[in-house]
Amino acid sequence: MSKPSIEKGVNFIKGQIDAPVASFFSSCIHCGLCAEACLFYTETGDPKQTPINKVEPMRRVWEQEFTVLGKLKSMVGLGKPVDEKVFSEWETLVYDGCSLCGRCSLVCPVGNDISGMIRKIREGFSAAGHAPEGLISATQRAVEIGSPMGVKLPAVKAQIRHLQADTGLSVPLDQQGAEYMVLLSSMEIMNFPEYLEAIARIMKQAGKSWTISSTAFEATNSGIQIGVSDLAKVIVERVVDAAEALGVKTVISPECGHAYTAIRWDGPNLIGRPYKFEVKHILEVLDELTVAGLIQTEGMETAKLTYHDPCQIARKGGIVEAPRRLLNQVASNFIEMSEPGVMNWCCSGGGGVSANERADEIKLTAFRRKKSQLDELKVETLVTACANCRLTLEEGLEANGMDIPVVGLTEMVAEHLVEDGTQKESAS
Amino acid sequence: MSREIGNNPLDNGTFADHLEQNGVSRRGFLKFCTSMAAALALPAGSAEVMAEALAAAKRPTVIWLSFQECTGCTESITRSHTPTIENLIFDYISLDYHHTLQVAAGLQAEEARDQAMKAAYGKYLLIVDGAIPIKDGGIYSTIAGRTNLSMLEEAAAGAAALISVGTCAAYGGLPMAHPNPTGAVPVTDIVKDKPVMNIPGCPPIGLVMTSAIAHFLTFGRLPEMDQLGRPKAFYGDSIHDRCYRRPFYDRGLFAKAFDDEGARKGWCLYELGCKGPTTHNACATMKWNDGTSFPIESGHPCLGCSEPNFWDAGGFYEALSVPQSRMGETILKAGAVGVGVGAVAAALNQRNKAATVAAQETMTVDALKKES
Repeated sequence: MSKPSIEKGVNFIKGQIDAPVASFFSSCIHCGLCAEACLFYTETGDPKQTPINKVEPMRRVWEQEFTVLGKLKSMVGLGKPVDEKVFSEWETLVYDGCSLCGRCSLVCPVGNDISGMIRKIREGFSAAGHAPEGLISATQRAVEIGSPMGVKLPAVKAQIRHLQADTGLSVPLDQQGAEYMVLLSSMEIMNFPEYLEAIARIMKQAGKSWTISSTAFEATNSGIQIGVSDLAKVIVERVVDAAEALGVKTVISPECGHAYTAIRWDGPNLIGRPYKFEVKHILEVLDELTVAGLIQTEGMETAKLTYHDPCQIARKGGIVEAPRRLLNQVASNFIEMSEPGVMNWCCSGGGGVSANERADEIKLTAFRRKKSQLDELKVETLVTACANCRLTLEEGLEANGMDIPVVGLTEMVAEHLVEDGTQKESAS
Repeated sequence: MSREIGNNPLDNGTFADHLEQNGVSRRGFLKFCTSMAAALALPAGSAEVMAEALAAAKRPTVIWLSFQECTGCTESITRSHTPTIENLIFDYISLDYHHTLQVAAGLQAEEARDQAMKAAYGKYLLIVDGAIPIKDGGIYSTIAGRTNLSMLEEAAAGAAALISVGTCAAYGGLPMAHPNPTGAVPVTDIVKDKPVMNIPGCPPIGLVMTSAIAHFLTFGRLPEMDQLGRPKAFYGDSIHDRCYRRPFYDRGLFAKAFDDEGARKGWCLYELGCKGPTTHNACATMKWNDGTSFPIESGHPCLGCSEPNFWDAGGFYEALSVPQSRMGETILKAGAVGVGVGAVAAALNQRNKAATVAAQETMTVDALKKES
């Protein structure tokens, strides 16, 4: 096993350059629109945070390796090198200053997928030994223990036991042939146990068979965040193997942004074949169950609330209408944030930023964008559908002395669920 | 079309006067200018400029000469919807001579033309449709005993600019197709010393003709043109580039017959002979008959009617395999060399990348850490 080196890093960047990347670099018109679309630029005002600049090392490798002019420039000593200095300088831009939210890709007038290129350039930075400590250890835990936060099966089992003791609801483990296999994110196991209870109640009411896999309960994929496809593949394979062994029809991605991107979009490409099952986000499943009349809700939240669209779920996942249909069913005073849906602003903690302690300061600076959006609305509750957004938002709100509770949409729906036998009082 | 035209070319009032006479409101006029500006892809704000220029200008004299043609171009221009032929031709210009549309006939008509030419010598706009036969002294097409050739030479001498409407006038069209028995040539073969704009098509889209004329009226010059003398605003893109069936082409989904599954599903008509890839025109965007449809939308391949020599470019239903005749051999060879160089460079780059990827070890957790 060779140690990380600059040479290796450059080679990995080179290996990531394909026809789309070449055309992106050739077609960039330097308009700067991506800067205005990036919260790490708008909130810091630092031109280095311009998204296209974050992939400058990749552009240099492309120019030097794949263009005639670049080769000539290198020959006469005019080419800008990609060396240790460059890796050190860009490391914080590539990891700390980007949440892979994809807003830059969306506004680019020539259609360059800048955030996709930042995901690619991370392959080179991690191979060069320039990935942040926090992400390296999270990835190590994800690969070796099975979860980036180090959650092991006994912890999940303990949570299941508590749930069963408290509510009498059953949580099937490794049930062969179940319709749904439910994935969890570590944060839901450690910080937000309400999620599992909500799922158990909703599935029971809908009369659907479901299960949790003892070998693949964790949905988050640190391999995607750190940018190492080989490791992302290992993590995806765990889920694919478990789901196909259990013969489930659908795998449900939890309220977690990158987990959804990893398992829904990146997964089949990583393993090189289509799945034998479907993947849906929990919001899609809830919406389907509601439309099919399998679950009903009663009562309305009356508090003024708004919805934070997680980037991976709305912008990259296309799930925009489902959460709104669900919200309007259980909340009477739901208002939209400015720029909702696919143009939403990131919470500031996606793409591995929240797992990277070094980035704490810039993360809080970037959070000012969300803060100003919330200040405009003066809501009493903030609803979202991603555990990572939720934690980032909670931290940001607390740091700014803002007293707004953050709630997961699935729990909110479960709160208002009409359950057989137990006629609930309508919640406040 | 009750107003008699062509009798009084000297009574050219301003547009504003004519609008008032015809009960056209300022608002209606502005609307017309806006749609014109939009059609010509002019910058925002041009509509105002256009309105002012048109309102203040004297209605310029326009003489329309028809030679070896089928009247299809006139039929098409009468179907222009914004502006309609009535409000453009009758209200904004003074159309002093047009075989088909004028009321006058015989000597009276020819007199009107002479009178108009004299009165506006050096300033009038000359529109030509149809090719001009020049074999045997041009005797194969005559009007009032005069050959088309001599009539064009005389009329062009006093024109400010010419517009060749239709593929026949622009590039020779059907009369010039093999074996060209009358020695037909396009306008540009005869008129060399005046600005000539081509509005090709068999026929051209009515709106394209009226918009190009409106541009001349507004700015006093012809719009920006490509190397074939066509206004770029309308002929800048190929039909193929703007075709709504393009995604099927990109995915390799083709109709193979007019009644197969592909045809019913609306797949690309390339294999049925569509000339969209080599044809530059606005059909796919502006469409025909008030924006209703265009040939490909109704299930028929593009014939390429606005391109030079389209009659002699192989069968209409033969799939386009080689570029059409305008692409000289030199260009083809140069292109082939370019493609070759590109292919070699791409292959080298691919080898370069493949070798890099092959040399990469699979990443592991340990490989992430600098010291371990």
